[in-house]
Amino acid sequence: MVSYLPQSLSEALELLASTGAIPYGGGTDLMVEGKNDASYLFLHKIPELGVIAGDADYIRIGASCTFTRVADHPLCPGILKEAILQIAAPAIRNLGTIGGNIGNGSPKADSALIFFVTGSRLRLVSKRGERIIPIKDFYLGRRSLDLRPGELIAEVLIPKMGYDRYYYRKVGARDALAISRLSFAGIIKTQGDRIVNLATAFGAVSDVIIRREDIDAMLIGKTLAEAKTVRDNYLAAYAEAIVPIRGRVSEKYRKRVCMNLLRDFLDTMNI
Amino acid sequence: MSISESVIKTDHKRKITGEALYVADYPTAGLLFGRLLRSAKARARLIAVKPPELPSGYFYVDKNDVKGLNRVHIVQDDLPVFAEDTVEFIGDAIGMMVGPDRDTVEELAGKVTVEYEELTPVIRVEDSDTIFVDYHYDKGDAEKAFREADRVIEEVFETGHQEQAYLETQGIIARPEGERIVIHGSMQCPYYVHRAVAQATGYRPEQVRVKYDTTGGAFGGKEDYPSILAAQAAVAAIKAGRPVRVIFDRREDMEFTGKRHPSKCRYKAAIKNGRVTAMDIDVIYNSGAYITLSPVVIQRGIIGASGVYTIDNLKVRGRAVKTNTVPNGAFRGFGGPQTFFAVEMMMGHIAARLGEDALGFKLKHIAKKGDVTSTGGIHHFPVPLPAMIKQVCEACDFKSKREKYNTQTGTKRRGIGISLAYHGAGFTGRGEHELIKAVIRLHKYPDGRVEILTANTDMGQGLDTTFSKIAAGELNISLDRIIVEPADTDRVLDSGPTAASRSIMVVGELVRRGAARLRDEWREGDEQVIEEHFKEPDFVIPFNIKEFKGDAYPTCAWSVCAVEVELDTITGVARVLDACGSYDCGTPIDRRILIGQMEGGFMQAIGYASMEQMAADSSGRIRNNSLSDYIIPTAVDVPGLRCLLHEEAYPAGPFGAKGAGELPAVGGAAAYLEAMEQALGGVPLNHIPFSAENAIDILEKRGNAQ
Repeated sequence: MVSYLPQSLSEALELLASTGAIPYGGGTDLMVEGKNDASYLFLHKIPELGVIAGDADYIRIGASCTFTRVADHPLCPGILKEAILQIAAPAIRNLGTIGGNIGNGSPKADSALIFFVTGSRLRLVSKRGERIIPIKDFYLGRRSLDLRPGELIAEVLIPKMGYDRYYYRKVGARDALAISRLSFAGIIKTQGDRIVNLATAFGAVSDVIIRREDIDAMLIGKTLAEAKTVRDNYLAAYAEAIVPIRGRVSEKYRKRVCMNLLRDFLDTMNI
Repeated sequence: MSISESVIKTDHKRKITGEALYVADYPTAGLLFGRLLRSAKARARLIAVKPPELPSGYFYVDKNDVKGLNRVHIVQDDLPVFAEDTVEFIGDAIGMMVGPDRDTVEELAGKVTVEYEELTPVIRVEDSDTIFVDYHYDKGDAEKAFREADRVIEEVFETGHQEQAYLETQGIIARPEGERIVIHGSMQCPYYVHRAVAQATGYRPEQVRVKYDTTGGAFGGKEDYPSILAAQAAVAAIKAGRPVRVIFDRREDMEFTGKRHPSKCRYKAAIKNGRVTAMDIDVIYNSGAYITLSPVVIQRGIIGASGVYTIDNLKVRGRAVKTNTVPNGAFRGFGGPQTFFAVEMMMGHIAARLGEDALGFKLKHIAKKGDVTSTGGIHHFPVPLPAMIKQVCEACDFKSKREKYNTQTGTKRRGIGISLAYHGAGFTGRGEHELIKAVIRLHKYPDGRVEILTANTDMGQGLDTTFSKIAAGELNISLDRIIVEPADTDRVLDSGPTAASRSIMVVGELVRRGAARLRDEWREGDEQVIEEHFKEPDFVIPFNIKEFKGDAYPTCAWSVCAVEVELDTITGVARVLDACGSYDCGTPIDRRILIGQMEGGFMQAIGYASMEQMAADSSGRIRNNSLSDYIIPTAVDVPGLRCLLHEEAYPAGPFGAKGAGELPAVGGAAAYLEAMEQALGGVPLNHIPFSAENAIDILEKRGNAQ
């Protein structure tokens, strides 16, 4: 089998369209599979995919950026850095990429959880052009992505909103080199004592990351005091929404800890 | 310089530069690859096994190719080399496909059709109807003590599997050479392999040669298993007339090779005037599908079942029972960690019921020099536990933390626990005297260099270095004049297995004695050979295995471990904040090597108690057969690990050294669990591994989560 090492994005898209080779970021997932007969499209030489930059609305992270680069970059928000520094171990973070973490399609992807909670968008490119979609729409179901033939994940666009007040917890089987058994991220933005934005996301619990804007909307626009009065309803709505799938730890444990984390998030944010 | 002063390990350069050859490093040109065909059923009769049409140069090997006895000799003639009429666990070896191209071998192995008549497997020990071994022993008059007791406390303790998780997986190459068969690979015990191969092939002992290759970790996992694999590879190589290499990938290694025996121990204690006057202990180990090392594993387990304490009256029973799961084998501690976990928890729980401080209560019962052991032997040497307890308590501020953590609220709750343990040094009972009869040689060459010839292996524990230091120290020559070559049964006599924490204490002492003789008889420029034979120390009260009476071990290595945890009540996850141990292995032969051993073993003990979870499902299959699913602690998980030494020189060991390697795996688990008990508000816990999920369940029941 032949693998390819394109030097530019246009070359990569051309090759992807003509060969159907498997896009290969850092290889930390693909290496484990150890397929002898696979054809890979190595993406690490493409300058366009390795940029971290800001524009008026977004922090833009190229899909080939490694976890280590993102964690070290001044533009990247703290919640993302905190999540990334709990991924695997330094050697894997030096190779693993943001695009790969998303493209793997797992609800356990620790960086994807942050992109969900921040309402980030993905820029997907192909020979035919590009489209930008919310990350939530990219994940269709278990291991199922809205990635069309010939398309590559080019960038993640994180809305520039300021994420100073956030809450992040990953529960793994140990403190390093651990896949999430469940994870939780919450952000809040207030003006005075009014909640202008609040978002939560639960990882590794269901087939896709759980992000329920409709439930979080119960608290948005309210003062903290008002939010407290609907806290029980809010928790009850999530208690219904979180239906863990079977995993290496029991559904009961994961449900309970998700709810514990959500409560602790509210406590911490004085709701 | 003192013997304990650390040196650069003699195998350091070979390993750092990549010169050292592990079994997978040998060129594969001309080798055939072997792939075992394993049972997919936990228990079944084999009706028919049909290999596919084989291309030229490919062979299917099974029971019909075993020219010797189709039994692998471990403690006794036990499992078949290749299955006969039945298979007894998922993974039982039915045959082996061999051939020159690895992928083709895989493919052909997948095409063998096996027709099974399925039988109902036994997965849980409670359902077992086959007792492999059943031992009993008594000390004093337990019945009388129970009759006269103020109160009787009874509890059951359970422990799980533990996987050795050595870095290098199992691997063997078998090479037919004329009328002989040469075996080399990853192993602890070349002469065990030698015997198993001779028996399976029907070859005379002199036709079998076994060489150990540089071995990347073992922890007991390469004590018995290489005998099985070598017997299979040898049969295949003889049939093919070509060398055969079998090296497992991680999944095959984790799923199908022996682990620590899961256990269930029932303890009943008689209490009179605030003291434990008797214990009635019933120990059950899950042997898995075959006997392998279970008899000796459970012997050690029940001898240590009353822990470091002198209990005047004991009634102890130990059974190893059959289940249709992977056969368990040797793992660092060898039956000790299970019962030491149980007795330490038991003593703590008794203290709690009596309203006493656990450590204080334990101190009242600790054995002293001259005390009678569980088997009616004598503690011939000082028991340094009180000093070691003081050392550990000071190092981790134990007493004030233990006091402080008794009342806590909030989402982060701490706990600290301490456990006491010993490891009987060397083989149990008269094993050294009656079975092993170790022999070593020292060969002095005319140029003044001295080669140490033993059958013992360095699997990373530093034995090449420590043996060299013992010889150099006694001969008073420099270390670079000592030669240690990889053990080769054509060149070395049988100095016994590299197991049971015996290598330094027993074989090292033979090396020392030989070196002392050589020094006295030294003739400059001559070639000289010195031979030394094991002799049981004079003070030992001979052990009677039928009665379990006498000195089970000539001496013990001792440990005190403290573990401090912080429990997050939101997630149930506990972090280890501090882990501090003191270890008495006699005089260290190399302090850095010894500390390294203690740190590694302590980590394993913490993993055993907390995150290392492995169990067969209801079909008998182990599913978490990879290192991403079977979780062992990393350095990040136990950041504060501290190992201290207490040096109680043992007069019958080289330079005062006694057993070391296994000790740190024995005691740490109970310290972890006692810490968890405190963090959970003083609830008694009875099983390991103890997971975050277990913690959340308890918090939920107690209604004080958040």
